[in-house]
Amino acid sequence: MSDYITNDNGDNRPMTPAETAEYTASLPALKAQNAARAAAEADKAAAKAALLTKLGITADEAALLLG
Amino acid sequence: MGANAQTSVPLYVAAEVLTAADMNISAGTGVPVFATTITRDAAFGGAGEKVLAEGQLAYIEASNIVQYYDGAAWATVGPTTSGGFVVTKAETAFTSASTVEIDNAFSATYTNYKVFIRYQNTTNADIFLRMRVGGVSASGANYNAQLGGANSTTALAYRETGQTSGYVAAGSTGAFWSSAEITIFSPFVAEPTVMITTNNRSSGAYTAPVINVFATNHTVSTSYDGIQILLAGGTITGTYTVYGMGKTV
Repeated sequence: MSDYITNDNGDNRPMTPAETAEYTASLPALKAQNAARAAAEADKAAAKAALLTKLGITADEAALLLG
Repeated sequence: MGANAQTSVPLYVAAEVLTAADMNISAGTGVPVFATTITRDAAFGGAGEKVLAEGQLAYIEASNIVQYYDGAAWATVGPTTSGGFVVTKAETAFTSASTVEIDNAFSATYTNYKVFIRYQNTTNADIFLRMRVGGVSASGANYNAQLGGANSTTALAYRETGQTSGYVAAGSTGAFWSSAEITIFSPFVAEPTVMITTNNRSSGAYTAPVINVFATNHTVSTSYDGIQILLAGGTITGTYTVYGMGKTV
């Protein structure tokens, strides 16, 4: 029995071997997409934090400047 | 009075002689069935054919509708199409799933669709979509997505192109209900499909709501009848409902 569950139009069931193969083959690409997005978000947050430190202001104070 | 107007609705008695005119009343007053509106139009007015006139009815197989002729044009009797949202896939629950298949949701009846998903997933895994037809997902590298969002005071802009699935939502990182409202434009039309998703992601706590808006497209010119939801990891639990958006008032 597959470790993965699929919901097939309302029927919650274990994936068939073919479905498992298709899904596991897709996982590296899905994980890469996930990681790229997470990295972009983390980079953005880190860059913002570094700039706030450099400026010596808080995020709320920065928002006031932009608002 | 139109050419097909009747002045009586006759009944016949035993041994009565039935003329061609008598028989034509019966032959010509039923509701004829046509494959298309083209074969309908070709069936009237020719030699040995009934004159098209006010009150004529017809059933069209291609669109499954009954029409009447008002003396100048054909009008549809029914079935009527709602001008609002019409459910094309009833609310469906999914539990601890890695993929969710939603088939036979799109057709020629509606052009644009809304997919409402209420979900929570076990990890921070992103949520992706593939277009689907005949139970087969389109997994070519033909998906592109642009994300615009805000997490607390940090804005995020992110784009990915040439992917094998389309990015449509982010993970809830635990049992915190999140939502994705996906508007899909013309999925049943054999042209590239565009969609936009508004995603309220509870990022590991209800005190950490994150707003994401995704502009996603799939560039293959194929007519699709459904979608598949996939996770980059973990599982997803929740419900979905698909609505067709009425095209007429």
